Amino acid sequence: MAEFWNPYLTPSDGQRRLLGAGAVAAVLLLWSGLAASGLVSPTRLPAPWDVAGALSYLAWNEGESLLLMATAWSVGRLVVAGILVVSIGIPLGIVMGASPRVNAALSPLIDPFRSAPVVALLPILVMWLGIGEAMKIAFLFLGAVVYLVPMVRDAIQAVPQNHWIGARDLGATPWECIHKAVVPMAMPRIADAVIVAFSVMWTYITVAEYVNAKVGLGQLIQNARRFSAWDQVFAGIIVIIVLALATYQLMLLAKRKLYPWETQQ
Amino acid sequence: MNAAAAAVTATAASAATPAVSVVLKDIVQEYPKPEGGVTRVVGGVSLAFERPGINVLLGPSGCGKSTILHMMGGVRPIGTRTPTSGSVLIDSRECHDVHDDAVMVFQRYANRPDLTVFDNVAFPFRLKLWRKRVPEAEWRSRVAETIEVVGLADKKNLRPAQLSGGQNQRVALARALVLRPRILLMDEPFGALDAQTRTEMQQLLVRLYEATPCLVVFVTHDVTEALALGDRVIVLSAQPAKVADDFAIHAPRPRSASWQRSTEAVKLEERILDQLHKAPGSGQVRVTV
Repeated sequence: MAEFWNPYLTPSDGQRRLLGAGAVAAVLLLWSGLAASGLVSPTRLPAPWDVAGALSYLAWNEGESLLLMATAWSVGRLVVAGILVVSIGIPLGIVMGASPRVNAALSPLIDPFRSAPVVALLPILVMWLGIGEAMKIAFLFLGAVVYLVPMVRDAIQAVPQNHWIGARDLGATPWECIHKAVVPMAMPRIADAVIVAFSVMWTYITVAEYVNAKVGLGQLIQNARRFSAWDQVFAGIIVIIVLALATYQLMLLAKRKLYPWETQQ
Repeated sequence: MNAAAAAVTATAASAATPAVSVVLKDIVQEYPKPEGGVTRVVGGVSLAFERPGINVLLGPSGCGKSTILHMMGGVRPIGTRTPTSGSVLIDSRECHDVHDDAVMVFQRYANRPDLTVFDNVAFPFRLKLWRKRVPEAEWRSRVAETIEVVGLADKKNLRPAQLSGGQNQRVALARALVLRPRILLMDEPFGALDAQTRTEMQQLLVRLYEATPCLVVFVTHDVTEALALGDRVIVLSAQPAKVADDFAIHAPRPRSASWQRSTEAVKLEERILDQLHKAPGSGQVRVTV
């Protein structure tokens, strides 16, 4: 037990994968058991094989792939919103982190939205922007940017002051101190903020596509729900989880490639 | 030092920096206490540095010697008037802000973990101020030379994480020297290093200084270090800092371990410790045996 209850003793990669896969398999088994026993009606819990069937139906049926179309549209919206989040949120966060005065002015406008019901803003966005793409992009943008900006600001403020002082002493202008000494040091944490922003957008994609989407993963789920096709609802949710996980892992990999020095400090 | 490095040092010596004078007049520094009132950190210090030399500011930890050094570099703490009264004159001009006659070397070297040794030493030339003054071909050769002089030629493509603490401090030293400052301000630069590395770095500093004399002001709380390096040793009392003693050491450098045990050195050490014991207060000095 001394090895079991030891937070500093990490298991080997093989052991970790085995435990993870085992847990997923156990849940699948329990799920299959429940579905096969007939204890829970299929209208409440579709069987895993029905979900698999729905997945394959969505993936390819009568010469077209509903899933591919839906994924392409959802990813497209996410990417457009993501570009906006990054290109507006990062500069804003840097400026707030670099100037406590700007931060004092803007943080009351941004920080509270981290705990605000962003979903409740959807009707307002519909009222302002209509029911087209602009509204969906704006919703994703808002949902993610309120997380990104404070994280970028905190990343800047977490850089040890000696980097700023050192640059200042060498004759850097105030702005050079920020963008040539402080920002490069904050980049790994800024990358973390971007990763979080994309995760948040994946959780909001269904809500963004709730209103009048012609195509998209959220719309696919919404549509299936309307026809009580629960196997398709489950399939859609699984696809979103898988895509979100893949995005996360890819971005983490990219971050480690870009900033290998972060862990060596 | 190998022959190539010796040749480099010789060329560097020919480019000796022009002399500079730094005068501190009645410096008083007070910081507001969080609970109200003020803490007097520096209690009226007047000093003049008129010619090249290694000047050691020696005092117990926390006595305000770093505060004085920062004033000479013009790096001021934010939100406080520095100095509270008195003035710092560089070549008779009052110094209010960072100026490019002086470069500082800190104990916490600010090396960039994402840049190689070469790029770290070349960092100042990413700044407008130095890019305008020094053409690229020249700074590139200067950086390469300086890296060689501090003994990191074979490590110029490595990153800080691949270097030891002493090597990182060499990078920081090179980054300061590459600008050929007239004033080199060193704030306990070797304080965090182990004893052996510290001695090596002291010898390196002496070599570099002999090759290119400039005005060095070196802050330390290590009596042994002060005796090994100083042309002049200024002993500061515990907070608020005042000049308790100020004397010259004429023994030639590098000063060997046997000099450190000589009657002259032992007497100086006793003299310093006496001065520090006379002034009551907290803070510690270090004597390496």
